[in-house]
Amino acid sequence: MKFTVNRNAFLAELATVQRAISSKTTIPILTGVKIVLSADGLSLTGSNADISIETFLSIEDEKAELTIEKNGAIVLQARFFNEIIRKLPETTLTMEVLENNQVHIISGKAAFTVNGLDADSYPHLPVIDEKNQLKLPVRVLNKIINETTFAVSLHESRPILTGVHCILSSAKLLAVATDSHRLSQRIIPVEQAMEDFDVVIPGKSLLELSRSFKDEEELVEISIMENQVLFKTKNMYFYSRLLEGNYPDTNRLIPDNFNTEIEFKVTELLAAIERASLLSHEGRNNIVKLSISSESVVLYGNSPEIGNVEEDLSYKNVKGDPLDISFNPDYMKAALKAFGEGEVVVKFISPIRPFTLEPTESDATFIQLITPVRTN
Amino acid sequence: MDKRTLYDEFDRLEEDTQGLVRKLVEMKQTMSKLIETNVNLEMENKHLRERLIEIEERQLELSSTKQELSKSRMNLEKIYEEGFHVCNIYYGSRRENDEECAFCLDVIYGERNK
Repeated sequence: MKFTVNRNAFLAELATVQRAISSKTTIPILTGVKIVLSADGLSLTGSNADISIETFLSIEDEKAELTIEKNGAIVLQARFFNEIIRKLPETTLTMEVLENNQVHIISGKAAFTVNGLDADSYPHLPVIDEKNQLKLPVRVLNKIINETTFAVSLHESRPILTGVHCILSSAKLLAVATDSHRLSQRIIPVEQAMEDFDVVIPGKSLLELSRSFKDEEELVEISIMENQVLFKTKNMYFYSRLLEGNYPDTNRLIPDNFNTEIEFKVTELLAAIERASLLSHEGRNNIVKLSISSESVVLYGNSPEIGNVEEDLSYKNVKGDPLDISFNPDYMKAALKAFGEGEVVVKFISPIRPFTLEPTESDATFIQLITPVRTN
Repeated sequence: MDKRTLYDEFDRLEEDTQGLVRKLVEMKQTMSKLIETNVNLEMENKHLRERLIEIEERQLELSSTKQELSKSRMNLEKIYEEGFHVCNIYYGSRRENDEECAFCLDVIYGERNK
């Protein structure tokens, strides 16, 4: 194997696959990055038990200035390899595999010879049937990820809740995540008719995936296999393990009859919640109280040992029964941040039942649920 | 230090060490006894607590005014308020930091004929 490449272009590819490489792995070869050179270009692979990323640098990519002299493959320790490339003096570098898996890296006057591992001993990535695909713009997928993954559980006590439940059926893609304290669900219509699926993708994988995308305008092709999912863009294959087990039925958690409804501007409500949470964070109980009547809507924060805060909220519209309800402001903040701009309608049943948040121009495609805190 | 004192010193050290070992064995025995009683007490405590909860529940049932919930749901509500999950996802485990759980709330208050 021998090739010359632009250092920055190579580093960018390396950074992407390194997302999947962990120094703490039980399989030693997975601390390495696999480099494969073919006539079309250069592909890099990194993997851990959960996710695998393969990127492709095409010979036609002009910025990469890739010239290939001889095909081949090698595995190199990712951590120091990255450091070496980062510190090389020139804008291009040349790599050549010598005998016994030794690699010669040259850039300007600097020359490294490092020991690699045989590429044949690197585990094979799963083969995924690419006929069964769902195509989405990266922008849309990123949006879904941002709207749901924040609600996944961070506790391993129920591993299934650390994932996002994705269901494709009747031309709709539904993504839902919950940690049992709050829930976030997004539904989008999709055009492609592929086989329906019902899978749970680890939240961590989706976050890494979202960070690995470089171009929002690209299309990503999603393929599902028994226990793997593949997200494929032009230059990247992102594989993730799926979570096994049955995801609890979240549909029944979302109520459909309400007694009190109130509309807010997202930015205004968020700012008020943030103010109120300043004190609740300092106190022992992280709780704020919302008091709704037909005349006024007041937000209270009270921490006995520190002080209290009270704010008359400006709202768009209120209807239904008066209500006093307490909740954890952090869940409210996270929920409102997922909405971004616009207006939101908050719907309540009673002080002890979960309440929902939806965009005002609701077509039931994005809904969040928060459980209140019972006080007595 | 001459050879003689060295020898004496060794003798003394040997004695000391043996003393230490004796103490160690003693302490270990006491500790295992303590652990044993601790486990026994814990078990007893647990049983007593269960009994207590039972009695309290019985009293609550008698004095209850909230008739909207069925008896069994009220039991669940009681357990939930004691700080345990009653949903089929986390059933029986402790609610961390007394955080509320949407699944439990559904079990307690949700409509069953959905």
